[in-house]
Amino acid sequence: MARQLNRPGRPWRGVVLAGAALYFLVPLAASVVFTVDVPGQGVTFDAYTQIFGTDGFVSSLLLSLELAAATIAIVLLLMVPAMVALRLGAPKLRPVVEIVCSLPLVVPPIAFVAGIGTVLKWGPEHLSRTPLFQTFVSIQNPDFPFVLVLAYVVMALPFVYRALDAGLRAMDVRTLVEAARSCGAGWPQALVRAVLPNLRGALLNASFLTLALVLGEFTVAQLLGFQPFAVWIVNVSGSQAQLSVAVSVLSLLVTWALLLALAGFGGRSRTAPRG
Amino acid sequence: MTATLTRVDVAPVASPKRRRHAPGWLAVVPLLAFVALAFGIPALAMLNGAFTVKDPATGATSYTTANLTASLKGAYLTALLGSVKLSAVSAVISTVFGLLVAQAVVTSRFRALREAVLTASGVLANFGGVPLAFAFVATLGNSGVLTRYFGLADKGWNLYSFSGLVIVYLYFLIPLMVLTITPALDGLRVQWREAARNNGATAVQYWRHIALPVLAPSLLGGFVLLFGSAFAAYATAAAMVGSSVPLVTLQIADAISGNVLVGQENVALALSLDMVLVAGLVMAVYLPLQRRSARWLDN
Amino acid sequence: MTATTLEKAATTAATVEFLGLRREFGRTVALDGLDLTARPGELLALLGPSGCGKTTALRMLAGFEHPDSGEVLVDGEDVTRVPAHRRDAGMVFQSYSLFPHLSALDNVAFGLRMRKVRTAERQARAAELLELVGLGDKGASFPHQLSGGQQQRVALARALALRPRVLLLDEPLSALDAKVRLTLREEIRRLQQELGITTLFVTHDQEEALSMADRVAVMRAGRLEQCAAPAELYGRPATAFVAEFVGTMSRIPGRVTDGTVEVLGQRLPVDGEAPASPEVDVLVRPEAVRVTAEDASDARVVASAFLGAATRVTVRLADGTEVKADLPTHEAAALGAGTAVTVSLPERPVLVADRL
Repeated sequence: MARQLNRPGRPWRGVVLAGAALYFLVPLAASVVFTVDVPGQGVTFDAYTQIFGTDGFVSSLLLSLELAAATIAIVLLLMVPAMVALRLGAPKLRPVVEIVCSLPLVVPPIAFVAGIGTVLKWGPEHLSRTPLFQTFVSIQNPDFPFVLVLAYVVMALPFVYRALDAGLRAMDVRTLVEAARSCGAGWPQALVRAVLPNLRGALLNASFLTLALVLGEFTVAQLLGFQPFAVWIVNVSGSQAQLSVAVSVLSLLVTWALLLALAGFGGRSRTAPRG
Repeated sequence: MTATLTRVDVAPVASPKRRRHAPGWLAVVPLLAFVALAFGIPALAMLNGAFTVKDPATGATSYTTANLTASLKGAYLTALLGSVKLSAVSAVISTVFGLLVAQAVVTSRFRALREAVLTASGVLANFGGVPLAFAFVATLGNSGVLTRYFGLADKGWNLYSFSGLVIVYLYFLIPLMVLTITPALDGLRVQWREAARNNGATAVQYWRHIALPVLAPSLLGGFVLLFGSAFAAYATAAAMVGSSVPLVTLQIADAISGNVLVGQENVALALSLDMVLVAGLVMAVYLPLQRRSARWLDN
Repeated sequence: MTATTLEKAATTAATVEFLGLRREFGRTVALDGLDLTARPGELLALLGPSGCGKTTALRMLAGFEHPDSGEVLVDGEDVTRVPAHRRDAGMVFQSYSLFPHLSALDNVAFGLRMRKVRTAERQARAAELLELVGLGDKGASFPHQLSGGQQQRVALARALALRPRVLLLDEPLSALDAKVRLTLREEIRRLQQELGITTLFVTHDQEEALSMADRVAVMRAGRLEQCAAPAELYGRPATAFVAEFVGTMSRIPGRVTDGTVEVLGQRLPVDGEAPASPEVDVLVRPEAVRVTAEDASDARVVASAFLGAATRVTVRLADGTEVKADLPTHEAAALGAGTAVTVSLPERPVLVADRL
């Protein structure tokens, strides 16, 4: 561990940290104050109490949660076997998968949704007489727009890849599977009983990150014309500023609580202090 | 002395049929197929559309670079430059402050402080979009808490401006910088500092000749990452400024929603392609810098 | 490596004094009143187990630590309050101290650059120093391209660049391979002698200390146990700790009466002062112990370790005490495990210590 040099010049550290604390905490505090102290009405908690009653809150929140659940299920179903297979049988495909999972980082959400929009327009324009047309229509069903799930899975890939990679790196998959198989387990059993339990941390990690992503996602949903949670917040903000800020604050706190819990599960692979 | 082993009847192992189980890469196929479908097709559509123009009169489509050139002219050019300027300015400011905060935390005696700041950074770096915009609207907007309290509007303050956006962007860029630069700062060995002092270097000389040069690849890499993040941001700006600040992302959104001149529908796709190229450039600069700094700091 | 004419500093070698140095880190006492003097031009080794304060003392001389009380004097001048970057002490660290982004030449020239020496001049001097440490052709190499031993040579050249009055070495060989360690050890010693520079060398390896140093200061728990030439340290250890830390010692119970001690059936004079109580342990070196086969004895050989020309035989006495003895290998070959032997000591004064 580095020896801490107790030298003069320490005040600057306090100044910097105090300044940072101020900058990061004040907007949050102000948000809370904003929702509570309405000009002309004094202190009121109306913004919070009215949340559940407001039109669209529950439906949009539910929609977001459903989308998140679907996204998490699909992304894990796709990624876990692939990542495990990479470690066990197909190491040469690793760069391919790594690149594939980093591609979404090169295409910003706005560009992605532009592409998706273009594809969706092919439906009515070119495919109206083919059976594909029905598919195109159904994935844009406003009650459960599957097209969003498709987009979100792609957007979640980089995070899920990193989380699963970190988890798999911390365990010796090959040995575990061989040990399980030498005890008589078949392939599926070995995977489910030997590998998955050890991946629990990484799976939780990946799920939380995906959840946070979907709950906060705005760009793709708005530009495709759907109204999950984040879009609803913006739509409502025009008429009820306090309410939308209150909902923002709440959704923020919930997301943070999730991510902090995640950090608490030992997902701190960001830094590697050197001795 | 040996213990006698009791005989336990074990079911005979089924004779293993030498069934050739499927090759490993089979499990990767669904993933690749999915990505090809959900990502590849839109990407190709975007690529294709960027070079296509539909003649309004005849309805014929033709391949042309007209979209791309249009995307670099007039209002679009303003937007592109606006985005570049916004991203560059906020990235520079965040790099400096991120470095200061990271250094303050790394050299502190309190381990708890370091852990707290890094965790907070991890959370804040993923923050952005709508809640962030609203938090700042509530704080510094026209009827925001601080605006009212300090009478900022009378002094000419406007959150929905270029500088307002910069201030908001810092909120997720600085934590991103802290996360990126902290491993590099950790890699600054204490022996270098002491060897520098032993050779007559003051603190300023140490930073100028040793620390900053060694950190340079990481700093640059971090800057580039920040630039890319700011450049691609949409939700925050959309929730805040609408169209009062010219940004590429807002332009694309406009175009997608139909707000374009006739014959220029595909400019949105050309703009998108521009963005992808910028992001690609960002990656191309970031990755080698990352590797170079890793070499010095991991040795 | 040969010293150039520019380097000889025998006439201006500095004296280093530690006066009553005290330093506490929270509840740990790193230094507990250290008094030590390094003579001009000598290589003084600071030897001791981890935590004994040797590195702390060295770093106080370099200016990286400050004593709670006490003084550090160089040539009679109190440098305790002088900041590290203005001290005149070149230091070689254990590892990783070369600046990774600078070539070997630029590393060595760094101190000169801080002193604003002109480029041509400082590069020439740096090249000279690299030549001195045997790396004249590696000036353009970067640290990651050099082996551990080469890196430490560059570090040494860098430490000498500013012609310091004192050279400080903080376990410079500990991170190196055994063979490299031996070569570098000799080279450092030779260079130090040719330059005549006062040198302090911290190590936990007693073989290193004994083979290299003019004098060795053995430290324990922040205090100086003994400071003497290697031969004296080995042959006349001042305390039981020194006796057991330096070289191998066996403890054999005995009884003191009147300045002589009864041990192993022999009566031998006590070397130095006898402890208060009559029940003592006699401290003997393996090379001093004689072992001969004797069927009637109840002492048995329990182990033997081949050391090359000699073999170290461990004998268990009737009362359970184990004694180590070094015998020529051809003699030890006849004394396999379980052989009954007698153990005896030469008729010389022996060291005694309080019984444990």
